[in-house]
Formats: sequence, C-alpha cells, structure tokens
Amino acid sequence: MIKLLLRKCLQGLMMVLIVSAVTFALLGFAGGDALTQLRDNPQISEVTIERLRSVYGLDQPLPIRYFRWLSGAVTGDLGESTYFRVPVSGLVRARSISTFLLGTAAFAIALTFAVPLSLAGVRYKSRTIAAFIDSLILLTASTPRIVLALVALAISVRLTASAMDTSSSVLFWLAALALSAPLISVFLAQFHGELQRTMREDFIKLARAKGLTESTVILRHAIRPALNPVLTIAGLSLGSVLGGSVIVESVLGRQGLGTLMVSAVRARDLPLVMGIVLFTSTAVWLGNAIGELLQAVNDKRIRDLGY
Amino acid sequence: MNEQLSTGGFTRRRTDRVAVVGWLVIGLFALCAVFAGFLAPYDHSAQSRFEPSAPATRIHFSGLTPIIHPQRVEDPLRRTYSEDTSNAFPLGFFLRGYSYTLLGIVETDVHLFGVRSTSGIAPRINLLGTDQLGRDRFSRLLYAIRFSFIVALIGVLVACLVGILIGGVSGYAGRLMDTFLMGVTDAMLALPTLILILGVRAAFPLELPMTRAALLLLLIFALTGWADMARLTRGLVLSLRTREFVVAAVALGVSQRRVLFRHILPNILPSLRTRALLLLPTFLLAEVALSYLGVGLQEPEPSLGNMLTAASDLDQLRSQPFNILAPALAVLLFTLAIRLVGRNERA
Repeated sequence: MIKLLLRKCLQGLMMVLIVSAVTFALLGFAGGDALTQLRDNPQISEVTIERLRSVYGLDQPLPIRYFRWLSGAVTGDLGESTYFRVPVSGLVRARSISTFLLGTAAFAIALTFAVPLSLAGVRYKSRTIAAFIDSLILLTASTPRIVLALVALAISVRLTASAMDTSSSVLFWLAALALSAPLISVFLAQFHGELQRTMREDFIKLARAKGLTESTVILRHAIRPALNPVLTIAGLSLGSVLGGSVIVESVLGRQGLGTLMVSAVRARDLPLVMGIVLFTSTAVWLGNAIGELLQAVNDKRIRDLGY
Repeated sequence: MNEQLSTGGFTRRRTDRVAVVGWLVIGLFALCAVFAGFLAPYDHSAQSRFEPSAPATRIHFSGLTPIIHPQRVEDPLRRTYSEDTSNAFPLGFFLRGYSYTLLGIVETDVHLFGVRSTSGIAPRINLLGTDQLGRDRFSRLLYAIRFSFIVALIGVLVACLVGILIGGVSGYAGRLMDTFLMGVTDAMLALPTLILILGVRAAFPLELPMTRAALLLLLIFALTGWADMARLTRGLVLSLRTREFVVAAVALGVSQRRVLFRHILPNILPSLRTRALLLLPTFLLAEVALSYLGVGLQEPEPSLGNMLTAASDLDQLRSQPFNILAPALAVLLFTLAIRLVGRNERA
C-alpha cells in the first residue's frame, strides 16, 4: 500500500516537472511576452522596456528563469500575473473553487445517470433498456460540449426575458449538464460493459446457486469487481473535465479556471499560463492517484501486490 | 485502401445501414469543403450594409418557380425586417456571381443558385440570414466548413504520422526507450488537452493571417494529438513482433527499419485507420474551440468556431437561434456521422 502510494507520488512529480518544463521552454523559445505589446506604444522607450524586463527577471536566460519559477512554485509562490497585477496563486485558488463545484456537479450527474441505468440493464435483461443505454452512449459520446453549452445558452436566453442572470442556479446546472455529457457515455459504457462481463463469472453462478435473489447477487457480488475499471476511468476523466470547463465556462459566462486560462492566453500573461498549467496537471495527477487508491481499497489483490 | 473503407461493413448487420448514413454525411461535408465557392451564392466577406443581422430569406412559390421578396428594414435599432411583397424575384440556378477558383485551378464565376433579376440589381438570398456585418451566413458556413474540415484532416494526418513513428519505435525498440516514450505518452494522455493546447497557443502572437493561423493550428495539433495514436501503435506492434512472419523476417536478416515498416506496419494499418477516423472530430472540435475563444482563426475569415461567437449576442440568439447555431449543428452532425461509421469499423 505504502509502496503504491510512493510510486504514484514519484510518477506525479515526474509528470508535473516534465509538463511544466516543456511549457516553460515553449513559451520561452517562442519569444514575446506581456511586455512585447508595449513596443507598439511610441511613448514608451526601449530603455524603459529593458528596465521593466529586469524588474520581472525576463532578461535572465531560460534555465535560470525556470529554476527560479520552480523554487517559487515549491513554496506556493507562482509569481505575479502581468495582466491582473495580483499573485497568481491567489487568483488560481479563487477561480478554481467555482470550477471545482461545476466539475463535482458534472461527476454527480454522470454517476446518477450511469449507475442506476447500468444496474437496471443487468437486472432486467430487457431489450428496451439495452437499446436505450446504447443510444444514450452514442448520443452523449458524440455531442460536443461546445454544442451542448451553446444550446444551454439558447435555452436560458429563452427562459429569462431580461439580461442573463449568471448567478442563477438553473444556469449552473445547465453548465454542469453540458460538462457531464461525455462523462455519462464513458461511465455508462464502462460500468455496464463491466457488469455484464462480471455477471458471466463463476462466482456469480455460485451466488445464484446459493439461492440469493438476483438483486442481492448484483448488489453484493457483482458491483465490487465491476467497479475497478470505472474508478480508473473516473480518475482519468478529470483532465477532460478541466479541459471541457474552458469551453463551458466561456460560453455560459462563468468565472472559473477555464475563463481565467483564456484571458491569460489572450493577454499573453505567461506567469498565469504557467500557474494554471501547473495547477491543472497537479490536479489531474491527484485525480489519477485517488482513482488508483480507491481501487486498492476496493480490491484486496491490488493492495497485496503493492502495484 | 478506399474500397475497404467504404464497402467493409455494408452488408454485415442491420447497424451497418447506419454506417452508410454516416458515410453520406461525411461525403456531404467533403463536398462542401471542395465546392464551397460553387455552392455559396456570395463571397464570404462581402457585406450588404443595408441588411445587418437580417433573418433568413423566405422562399415562396409562384406556380412552380421559387421566388423571394426583398427585405426592408423596419426598425434599424431593433434590427427588424419586413418583406416587400410588391416586388418578386425568381431564383435561378447556375448563375454568374463573384469569381472564385474551382478545385484550386479553374477560375470561374458560376454558382449553384442565386437570385435572377431583369433590372440588374437583385436582392440577396440569405438562407441563414446575415451576421452583424451584413455578410451572408450560409456562404460563410460553407467556407467555414472548408477551413475547419481541411485543418482537421491535415491535423489528423500529421498527428498520426508522429504518433505512429513514436509508437512504432516504442513498441519495437523495447525496454528503456519504451519505458521513457510511454511515460511521456501517458502524461500527454492524462493532461487536460485543451488547457495544454491553450498553453502552447500562448507562446505565439494573438493575431495571425489565415495561412499562418492554419499552420499554427496544425503544429499545435501535432504537438498535442499524437499520444493516442502512439499508444495504439505500440500495443499493436508489441502483439505482432513475436509472430512467426516477423520472426522469420528477422531471421532472414532483414533490417529493423524494413521489418517495422514493410512487415509490421501494413498489418496494423486497418486498426490505425479506424482510430484516425475517430480522431477527426477531436481535431475539428479543437479548432472550433480555439477559434471560438478568439485564439484560432481570426475574423474576417470564417471558421466554424469564430462563427459561433455570434451567440454572445443574446438578442440575436433569442430571435433566431437556428441561424446562429447552424455551425454548431454542422459540428454535431459531423461528430455523430464519424461515430456511426467508427462503431462498425472497429477492427
């Protein structure tokens, strides 16, 4: 168990390091930063720009800048946003709360669709339910989030006569629904498929032979082994939720991590871009790690193997 | 290669009929992309200053000839229009209009349809209305499909090349190289792609002309989209390298490169092709997202993404939701079609 934990931590650290280094290098090599645009202003002399550059440490070579940034990042100091003029860490923390809530709601919606439907699918082996599950998977898998978000926007505009009220809970749930669509397909396909596979196993036959009711067989014996792949997928889909939040938040005008990233890119606010990339890659790693830990809790074999 | 793709699953099961529908839709998109100039009645950036944000032109019939009535502005502030029924103009086919190059070679000015007029000046037919600048939304949609479709297609090709190369090397070279490459691949797969794409995008100037924007999008796609392909290729290569015919080739002293590209690659190509097909909507959506967020293709060039920014005009969205969301519908149809086809192509 501890071996597994350590292994995951090391992997995560490597991943975050590689990602941040590559992004940093790319941003550095491509040249240009928030100060480049100042050149267009004839009233600001080249000397001033150079002075500003040394104030922000932009005149240093790339590796030095990276290590400076990294040592700051370890202590939670991600530098100052050149556009918003406030510390990056505070900005990211404030905005990530809203995105976190939205993502949690999306996960909750996906689970409330996937779990009961999959269970009903194996409990009552009816064709209607199977066909419904199949078409729901196809539909949610192929409806892009941007389309859903735009439709949600059109609906909310129709509902409210006046200007859009961004704080309304209707809009929040519409956004969460748009964010959750691909999750529904992934969870449903995984869980339903895995349950069907498990139901053909010998120990299920044994449980039935003992005279247990079908519901008990499913709820007590089939769920646990079928859950593991779903946990992996759930951990992995955190990345897709964070990526999707960029679109959903921008379309529906929510202040979150996604919209923060967009404004950072548009303002070429490199410290902020780096901060968000670091934060999201850490979050994704955390999601994966939690997914695997939950698997270990669920499945004793994984725990004992130490993998 | 194409025969196999198109006839591979036609007669197998009932669901295969669905795949035909999928192929038809994809074919329609390809036609739009190739013949955008011919199908679009107007130049995508030509403005009609008297009718900004106009609703779609209604088509009436007098007898059997389709006719339209010109639209008159009723309230320029609220942008309401009414039809002037005292005037009627018949629709015509294969009319002359602005000139474009067909298939990139032939210079021509014939368009599929347009408004016929005897007096010289004809009103415009806007099948999806006009945007805020008075440009025909239908023509823009066709050109947008062309740009987005082509960028996505080339993007998939480039990303596949990179992915197959990395995956092939990883699967065939083994051990240390494999561990390293697959570590990087896993990291790429787990990351929030859109945020990564935006991060890469931040490295380049915000406003770019069309060809450079397209090149930049391709570069970004190649940098971020290869991981999925690499993973699949590696798995397939691994499963083949212990098979007899590969072992035999190695025993005969065939060079490593030749074994990989002449003996293994042709055998895994069908599976790779299916995955490449499924990647197409991913890239299309990435382009749509970037252009929607204002960091992809910039106005006045149309793309499916930057046309959708019109949805931020909430009044317009309320009064003509279908016209505004038509590009979204196109995206939806395309992803659905690819899914329908991909479902049966699973090798």
